Amino acid sequence: MTDIHTLTALQVHNAFKQGKLSASEIVAASLARITQHDPKIKAFLRVFTERAGKNARMLDEKRASGAPLGKLAGIPIALKDNINLKGEITTCGSKILEHFQAPFNATASRLLEQEDAIIIGKTNCDEFAMGSSTEHSAFQKTSNPWNLSCTPGGSSGGSAAAVAARLCPLTLGSDTGGSIRQPASLCGIVGFKPTYGRVSRYGLVAFGSSLDQIGPLAATVEDIAMVMEVLGRHCEHDSTSLPKGPDDLLSKLNAPIKGMKIGVPWEFLENLQPELLRSFQASLDMYKDLGATLVPVDLSCLKYAIAVYYIIATAEASTNLSRFDGIRYGLRSKRATTLDEIYDYSRQEGFGDEVKRRIMLGTFVLSAGYQEAYYRKAQKVRAHIIQKYNEAFSHCAVIATPTSPFPAFQIGSITDPLEMYLADIYTIGNNLAGIPGISIPSGFTQDMKPIGLQLSAPELSEGLLLQAAHALQQVTSYHTAIPKEFL
Amino acid sequence: MKTAHHHHNWEPVIGLEIHAELNTRSKLFSSAPNHFGDEPNRNITEVCTGMPGALPVLNKEAVRKAVQFGLAVGARVATFSQFDRKSYFYPDSPRNFQITQYAHPIILGGSVMVVVGDEEKAFPINRAHLEDDAGMLKHFSDFATVDYNRAGVPLLEIVSEPCMHTAKEAALYAMAVKAILDYIDASDCNMQEGSLRIDVNVSVRKKGEAGFRNKIEIKNMNSFSNLEKAVAHEITRQISAYEQYPDKDPQDVIQQSTYRWDPDKGQTVLMRRKEYADDYRYFPEPDLLPLILTPEYIEEIRKTLPELPYEREKRYISKLQLGPQQAFTLVSDKQIAAYFEEALQDCTYAKTLANWIIVEFPGRLKELGKTLPETPIQPSHIASLVNMIETGIISGKIAKSVADDMVARMTAPNNLPLDPGAIVEANPEYLPITNRETILPIVEAVVAANAQSVADFIAGRDRALAFLVGQVMKQTKGSASPQVVNELLMECIKKK
Repeated sequence: MTDIHTLTALQVHNAFKQGKLSASEIVAASLARITQHDPKIKAFLRVFTERAGKNARMLDEKRASGAPLGKLAGIPIALKDNINLKGEITTCGSKILEHFQAPFNATASRLLEQEDAIIIGKTNCDEFAMGSSTEHSAFQKTSNPWNLSCTPGGSSGGSAAAVAARLCPLTLGSDTGGSIRQPASLCGIVGFKPTYGRVSRYGLVAFGSSLDQIGPLAATVEDIAMVMEVLGRHCEHDSTSLPKGPDDLLSKLNAPIKGMKIGVPWEFLENLQPELLRSFQASLDMYKDLGATLVPVDLSCLKYAIAVYYIIATAEASTNLSRFDGIRYGLRSKRATTLDEIYDYSRQEGFGDEVKRRIMLGTFVLSAGYQEAYYRKAQKVRAHIIQKYNEAFSHCAVIATPTSPFPAFQIGSITDPLEMYLADIYTIGNNLAGIPGISIPSGFTQDMKPIGLQLSAPELSEGLLLQAAHALQQVTSYHTAIPKEFL
Repeated sequence: MKTAHHHHNWEPVIGLEIHAELNTRSKLFSSAPNHFGDEPNRNITEVCTGMPGALPVLNKEAVRKAVQFGLAVGARVATFSQFDRKSYFYPDSPRNFQITQYAHPIILGGSVMVVVGDEEKAFPINRAHLEDDAGMLKHFSDFATVDYNRAGVPLLEIVSEPCMHTAKEAALYAMAVKAILDYIDASDCNMQEGSLRIDVNVSVRKKGEAGFRNKIEIKNMNSFSNLEKAVAHEITRQISAYEQYPDKDPQDVIQQSTYRWDPDKGQTVLMRRKEYADDYRYFPEPDLLPLILTPEYIEEIRKTLPELPYEREKRYISKLQLGPQQAFTLVSDKQIAAYFEEALQDCTYAKTLANWIIVEFPGRLKELGKTLPETPIQPSHIASLVNMIETGIISGKIAKSVADDMVARMTAPNNLPLDPGAIVEANPEYLPITNRETILPIVEAVVAANAQSVADFIAGRDRALAFLVGQVMKQTKGSASPQVVNELLMECIKKK
């Protein structure tokens, strides 16, 4: 089989279980794709050739012995480089952790390996997941497989590009304000942010603790459902971890959506580019054809979402990133001769500009005299936004919006940080409210850049959300498109 | 009160912050063992060293102990409390923020009852909250190391109101808090090992003056007596300073700063000035959910509270007729109090028993550096010794020799029995002289020589008899049976 890369994760898993493919073949194919194509997009920071090969051989032996196989057996998976894999380097795209070897597994990594997935490498990201283009990685800029001069979006740009280029069928990312959904949209694949607390954050290097969620990226909603059955388990190491999630996501995926009410916050979409608006309306028309009804909902409060987000996320980040001080691990400046110099120079040399900007912003909004005006007010607005979502969901089952206000953009074209922050205008609300959101491929621009549709649902409604997303994917074929250079 | 005597127009104001390490099995936010004295960096997990991706998970046992303390001091246990991040950079702080309870502590209010002199006082508590301890730095000539064994150990910080006015009150309050923590088994309360650390805030003001003047924080007091000395010294220092510069703005005379107590010099030593308030940028810890406690949970814990030191002290005074000082000393140490309780099973002479347990034996054990419960001397041994005294089998003086022997035998190699009955039996000279013929001439001589006392006794003054008994005992070097002496004296006086 020479076209293993065109298979979805579910198809790979089935082929392995049925004995049509060995894990060694699957992993070898994936590694060969990376060798051949990754130099064009630079999605990977590190590839675990030996580790993956060894795990594949062991899995083949396991299958030969007749032992029961895990729910993800045989699937090659890559992790965003802010998710710990014991014994391997976790850089978070930062110089400060360039040589940091993770001493423990993230719960997500542990669950994947427990279910016989094969982790093949770590993908590039904006430093500490701060960015929307993956340009803020300290190591390399990743390209969008659909247009190599464009960014893949971010911060999980490496994970999105790897799937879009079919280097592996499944990757994990993290989403604090849209960092899974936006790059998925820009790369023409599916990206899913679960309910806050659904996937354990243990072993995910924290950015904004009350917003961060690990989630999968893949070509199909089926693959998302399959891996969510594994990832959505309670974890005793994370106090915000929810009780065990459903394990029948995949089997219930085909439930009809006839009669489903889809909310559309029209006034929030006023300034959308005409091309994206047309695509969005086409998706809504398809939902109507599938038997759904559209209802207008009011989410005008989301105009405050970016302001609120950049206060709360940076406040949390400023303290989460305090631990990178050159004392216990990570980069320690060679120029430092005193304790204060260790702190100052190590952080000066170790952090990039965007990270420094957010640490300063977060430190400022928490300072005495300013906390009331910024951090606490932001918390109040966040509570208001949650309430508005609840009201909206009393009228509908899911809410549809575009994922991103613009398609893939040229590398280096956005230099104003505030302009970059606008990339998350449609995705941030989900993180503030803790609700799940999914981006699915819903079209292309005239210049062949992917467009994504975002669906959102109330917390814990992952099943319903995936059903709605899957229904559209059943009547479209955007997700099967592979960029020319990666066929 | 010595200082206040000299400075009667000044009023010291004292508040205490007590950090008690809770004696839980694991740390406040990780499964690492909470254990003192191990090799550096043995008792750590990724949480204790602030590894990227590590998350805190709250220890329920620590919550339980905090609630026990709250109930023991009659405080309000918050059904909603919350953890906050407190940011500051220091190598002993693995995340460079401490997780503490700032806006919503678990314990609010309450008070600690203390007997000061003859007066019973309630010292109000402001709050008590849970937080994690820092690691420890060790400095060498040209480098430093950090030990994270202590990092993450649960602390209960107990903050009093600024309600104390003398050094004695401060020390008594601290002892009472320690006793409570001890009784509910919340902390080892070992000041040498740092499991009980006391910071004290001291200021003075003119009597009747409104508001507080600048306060001085004193750290590093490793015993209650040092605490008392440090506070007394600081009060005097501040009053002297204000009196030396009566025309200066008080703000400039004493500036807010931190001192430490130097026990060798016997004075407080400046550590640092607080020129501007630190900004710790407190905000709710997003990795932990608010701590919600149900009234049922709190009531269930209330039912498990043991008899508390202050209740026990009241009982000793009212039911056992112990003196207030005796009762306080006994209850202040949980082990001693338990020892006393056990001895009471075999002996009803509570007052004498208390004296032997808190005065006589500790005096004899001082050199060995041991407390009574740490020795093989059993409560029943002391009970039996006291019974022998009170029933006149041996005199108090002989009893002291017997006690000396008990302590000596304890350390001797040949494992001789420690039971005082056995000791007396083995030493005939300890047995009192009961032979009337031997004692009678001495009694007659004493009666003849103390006519006034005899007259006093006949006139109804019982103390006179005690004096006469004492005279006879003195002449027999304590070897006469007090019972026989009594009988002979009465007979002699009657004959007159």
